[in-house]
Amino acid sequence: MMQFTRSAPPLTSIHPNGLGLCLDDDASKHSLHRSWPWPWSGLLTSSKSLGRLNTASCMEQLLVHCANAIESNDATLAQQILWVLNNIAPPDGDSNQRLTSAFLRALIARASKTGSCKMLTAVAARADADLALHLHRFSAIDLASFIDLTPWHRFGYAAANAAIVEAVEGLPVVHIIDLSTTHCMQVPTLIDLLANRPEGPPFIRLTVPTFTTTATPPMLDMSYDELGSRLVNFARSRNVAMEFIMIPSDPSDAFDSLIEHLRVQRLVSEGEAVIVNCQMLLHYIPEETVGAIVSTMNVNSPIPSLRTMFLKALRSLEPTLVTLVDEDADFTACDVVGRLRSAFNYLWIPYDAVDTFLPKGSEQRRWYEAGLCWKIENVIAQEGLQRVERQEPKGRWGQRMRAAGFRSVGFTEEAAREVNSMLGEHAAGWGSKREDEDLMLTWKGHNVVFASAWMPS
Amino acid sequence: MIKGMLIHQHQLVDENMSNLTSASGEASVSSNHQSSFASPNPNPPKKKRNLPGNPDPDAEVIALSPKTLMATNRFACEICNKGFQRDQNLQLHRRGHNLPWKLKQRSSKEVRKKVYVCPEATCVHHEPSRALGDLTGIKKHFSRKHGEKKWKCDKCSKKYAVQSDWKAHSKICGTREYRCDCGTLFSRRDSFITHRAFCDALAEESARAMAANPFANHLFSQPTASCETSTMQVQSTILRSQFPHMMRANEANTSIVSGHGMQGELSPDREHQPRQFDMRSNIPPWLACQGPITTSLNHLDLPSSSSSVYSVRLQQEYSRENPPVHRPPIPPAFQPSASSPHMSATALLQKAAEMGATMSRPKHLGLTAAHATSSAVPPNNTASFALGLSSHQEMGNGTGGGDASGGRGGGVIGGFAQESSPPPLLLHDMVTPSLSSTPGFDGPFEDAFRGMLESKGEESNSSMGGFARSHRMVEEGGGGSGGNDGMTRDFLGLKPFPQRDILDLTGFDPCLSSPSYAQHRQSKKPCHGQLLPEM
Repeated sequence: MMQFTRSAPPLTSIHPNGLGLCLDDDASKHSLHRSWPWPWSGLLTSSKSLGRLNTASCMEQLLVHCANAIESNDATLAQQILWVLNNIAPPDGDSNQRLTSAFLRALIARASKTGSCKMLTAVAARADADLALHLHRFSAIDLASFIDLTPWHRFGYAAANAAIVEAVEGLPVVHIIDLSTTHCMQVPTLIDLLANRPEGPPFIRLTVPTFTTTATPPMLDMSYDELGSRLVNFARSRNVAMEFIMIPSDPSDAFDSLIEHLRVQRLVSEGEAVIVNCQMLLHYIPEETVGAIVSTMNVNSPIPSLRTMFLKALRSLEPTLVTLVDEDADFTACDVVGRLRSAFNYLWIPYDAVDTFLPKGSEQRRWYEAGLCWKIENVIAQEGLQRVERQEPKGRWGQRMRAAGFRSVGFTEEAAREVNSMLGEHAAGWGSKREDEDLMLTWKGHNVVFASAWMPS
Repeated sequence: MIKGMLIHQHQLVDENMSNLTSASGEASVSSNHQSSFASPNPNPPKKKRNLPGNPDPDAEVIALSPKTLMATNRFACEICNKGFQRDQNLQLHRRGHNLPWKLKQRSSKEVRKKVYVCPEATCVHHEPSRALGDLTGIKKHFSRKHGEKKWKCDKCSKKYAVQSDWKAHSKICGTREYRCDCGTLFSRRDSFITHRAFCDALAEESARAMAANPFANHLFSQPTASCETSTMQVQSTILRSQFPHMMRANEANTSIVSGHGMQGELSPDREHQPRQFDMRSNIPPWLACQGPITTSLNHLDLPSSSSSVYSVRLQQEYSRENPPVHRPPIPPAFQPSASSPHMSATALLQKAAEMGATMSRPKHLGLTAAHATSSAVPPNNTASFALGLSSHQEMGNGTGGGDASGGRGGGVIGGFAQESSPPPLLLHDMVTPSLSSTPGFDGPFEDAFRGMLESKGEESNSSMGGFARSHRMVEEGGGGSGGNDGMTRDFLGLKPFPQRDILDLTGFDPCLSSPSYAQHRQSKKPCHGQLLPEM
């Protein structure tokens, strides 16, 4: 809970003209005795100097200080920094500014959850209203063109498809469990590849979970019934026999009911090759840090995380192949400042990239950035089970997979070529490289998304 | 600028530039904490040398001037004035003039990582934390972002600052165009395919094909969103996917009406059959249909009014039964070339029977009594049959286990017969028209099933094996017909067995010490209907 100091400055102490902040004495004394450096106290004396703050690292520092202020219930300082940030990072500025603006809103949301500050609550309410069009619901066609704007998703699709087709070579029945956030957008190209097999297409069984509690962007404006029937129809048009199965199951419980279903399915149908295709979804399964928060009782006994259990359950299904694609970032720090740094130094990438493919003011751009805002707000402002964006870097996922009994199998040269030719059709900053056995999507050299392939060891 | 970083001015950098090989497209090292491609041992957590947000302090940040970045051919041969971008190349050229030349060797000590910043002050990449890892990258970036676009595409109006970008674009501009029926153009095949799969144009096309083909009436009707619709839709979904050849909305030929016509259409495809046959020889015979397509096609001459492909299929299955003539099994894609309703029921039940065969008591095989007492069944009744591997799911929801499993919203697209419709009864009627008794196999079957499952998942491979065995079961089943409905219902309205057994069975560690997870499992169990309902 944030508490005002007795003489806490109300709104009036923050002047919009930027010429210094009139704090009354107590507050100013309080604010000057900071335990961490406050380098901009001098800078704030003139509006010109605000310009000097307009760099990414300064914005990051400000955000960090603001987060610290919120965590330590320092409403005064928090408000001041928020005001500064608001001035130097308009939501329609350059990519850094828009990035910072999104973090700003997330911090406000966080403060309003934890504090009793009326101003912040009012601001937060306004911000929420703006973001109410957050989760735009896409039609299938719109979603198809949306996810193809950047290789962010298509990279994982291409790599996974290549690995899957190779793994099921010659096999007649293929059971694909599609765990992705993008509502089977990968499936048509996979059907197409399998339809063109020299030995003829397999029978495809496609199982997907329909979420019961988790709801993340992008949202689909179509029932899965309809989606599945279109997929089956498409398969038919390519001479591929396909069956579509939906199982209500949610990442929040590590897809418990889906696993159960798959176990029984396995008993009943032999000879099918099980492929588990994970595209950016596994990081929604709660992991150890959630457990630590949720059940503080069992401090001594190690709480097995749902992620570990899930991967072990996958292993018990004896899959032919597991493809694991996710964002190469670490959002699992328990402290908000750590997460903020990680997120700031990762999510600048989509903001930077969007300039290359979507003009300002375009609707798709709004949806795209709204999705990013949602992510940032989730990482910064949410805690416990509501915070679902718990990305882990590639190395840690690798450890998890090996611990669960998988070995990495890598991608062929052909797969890498496919990926590269796909990237060639996107903006020039996208690249791909091999890292250990995995493929890594890069933007201007920075790691973005990793793709890995696993088989039972 | 952040102090404390080593920043070279461009005079020093000239040397460095000449030593660098082109790095575009190769692994570029990022200055962030996640650079790792050289790590020899992936297992231990990577040492984090720097916090996120702080550039690697060991990286050498190089700031080149705009002139340097844009410069080309800075090294010139003194004899012929030919220009080169790199000193190495110039040196090699000098050899041709018999001039003294010297190639600089890469220094043997560790080369420090170099990252480059953009000289443009307002640019995002001006900051060391956003520096780019390779020289070519920063040069290209500078040109693209801050340079003049000198290269223009001939065919369209796009302009490029970097020549390689322009070349890459020109290669594909206007060359490949994929056009969807809805009129949208795509230059990329994967975008085109993904779009097409969900495009209304495809749905309309299949609708047109459906209209032209009476047999396909039931096949391609889009299922309603509700899950409580009849099992016809379940079947329709499976079928729709299983008749690709017959029901394909062929652009060239939409008027598929007579069996012969279809036969004609299909003949070119039959040559694929043998290949697929080989492919699928490891599919259990009960799954593969018997009877060549011609046979199946002949049976398509049915009164069209309500004849669904089901009736077609069923008739074909029936004919399969009679002659011992060997026919190549048709892959699952063509599965329903069967004859009578009984056959498809039999196929279904045989599967159940085979499963049961692994159990201790074969009595339940009375399911297949239907076959023994086969009689003509009006096509309508075939509605209740689901096929294939999802049979158990569908049936289970009808009765018995309905309460728990009814909650399952999922299932084969098109919906299951849920509690509202009585497909198992239809099955029952068909299978044992004379019987009306209540399930009598609660005990033995359930025990048998439990026994099977509890035997640590030892599945008998033979369960999928012999068709001969199935025949035997069929005959045996004649006597045990009383257990039919008991079988069907109980098999699927299984008495639940403890969750623990499932876990043990599959080797999954129950992790009892995890209250949260255990709670998840227990609390969730009643909510979503399980195939094996909990007690």
